[in-house]
Amino acid sequence: MRLVKCWFCSSTIYPGHGIQFVRNDAKIFRFCRSKCHKNFKMKRNPRKVKWTKAFRAAHGKDMTQDKTFEFEKKRNRPERYDRNVTENTLMAIKKIDKIRSERSAKHIEKRLKTNKPKIHIEATKELKNDITLIKAPQALLQDPKKKIKVDVSKSKSVQNEAMEE
Amino acid sequence: MATRLQFENNCEVGVFSKLTNAYCLVAIGGSENFYSAFESELADVIPIVKTSIGGTRIIGRLCAGNKNGLLVPHTATDQELQHLRNSLPDEVVVQRIDERLSALGNCIACNDHVALAHTDLDKETEEIIADVLGVEVFRQTIAGNILVGSYCALSNRGGMVHPHTSVEDLDELSTLLQVPLVAGTVNRGSEVIAAGMTVNDWTSFCGSDTTATELSVIDSIFKLREAKPSAIVDEMRKSLIDTYV
Repeated sequence: MRLVKCWFCSSTIYPGHGIQFVRNDAKIFRFCRSKCHKNFKMKRNPRKVKWTKAFRAAHGKDMTQDKTFEFEKKRNRPERYDRNVTENTLMAIKKIDKIRSERSAKHIEKRLKTNKPKIHIEATKELKNDITLIKAPQALLQDPKKKIKVDVSKSKSVQNEAMEE
Repeated sequence: MATRLQFENNCEVGVFSKLTNAYCLVAIGGSENFYSAFESELADVIPIVKTSIGGTRIIGRLCAGNKNGLLVPHTATDQELQHLRNSLPDEVVVQRIDERLSALGNCIACNDHVALAHTDLDKETEEIIADVLGVEVFRQTIAGNILVGSYCALSNRGGMVHPHTSVEDLDELSTLLQVPLVAGTVNRGSEVIAAGMTVNDWTSFCGSDTTATELSVIDSIFKLREAKPSAIVDEMRKSLIDTYV
């Protein structure tokens, strides 16, 4: 029994699931469910179909390069069975899985996080260049700290007139 | 000395077994008679391993090997690979190959020094063969047939090829492989030599349909004949005596 990856969406295929297609050049395509199989028959490229792992890897949405991925690969030269090695491998598998999921979660968090310094720099640049959208250019030339005296005409208040009578 | 046997009433012994100088692979599921025929000849000398490849019994045609290593196709499961690795001695390197032509026993004919390969084999596969089996690889055809592994049975001391191989081809192959070759048949005229028999440096096993003539040819070309004193004298007489008075 071997758990293999779906050619289209890269999910694991468990025993008893999916369809396997063998092309005339002896290349084997394994699909986890009819959704992936039908997409393949429509000749869709998994790198362009949003929900597949291939798309997410190609567009930098998911972590691709990490040392933890090197542990899970198909090995063609077996080693003699050793009980201790097997035991250690089983324990290591759990740890590596945990580390890998933590790292990929961090990758996504980093991707979604707002980049405050970058926003600040862009804001100051905008302020410098496009301030004319808000303030008139003439107003900008005058010194804001200098006080300008404006004569205000004093008009009698209506209330006082009433009281005078 | 060549032994005649059957696997489940089938004379194609080379299909269900693989014999080398360092180990012997046998298919599972046959009667114990098949297994015990191998045991009686080889029991203490080399390990005899019962196995399947990809769940099938046609192991002789799927795998290729010599005393240095064993090559299995991608159809071999992880469990079978592990079983082979555990049962075979450490000197034998077990390697699985990803190759379009997965019947490696039909595509590769090898002994401990040299190998003939199918002309359409991948370059990577050729390199793996040279590396794992420790042999020099030649891409050749036998009697115009590309399946060299099935039409040629090879050991370190001799080889037998398809009966329709021309004399020129025979000479060419002989110089390439550095062993004496003969064009012969097995199992009452079957051309598929490697499927009908399996051979190593000191024993061989043929199908029970093999005639006495075929058996004597096999014995002589693979040098399996037991050296009785009279036999030696007969063969040496020509070289010992200069002139008859």
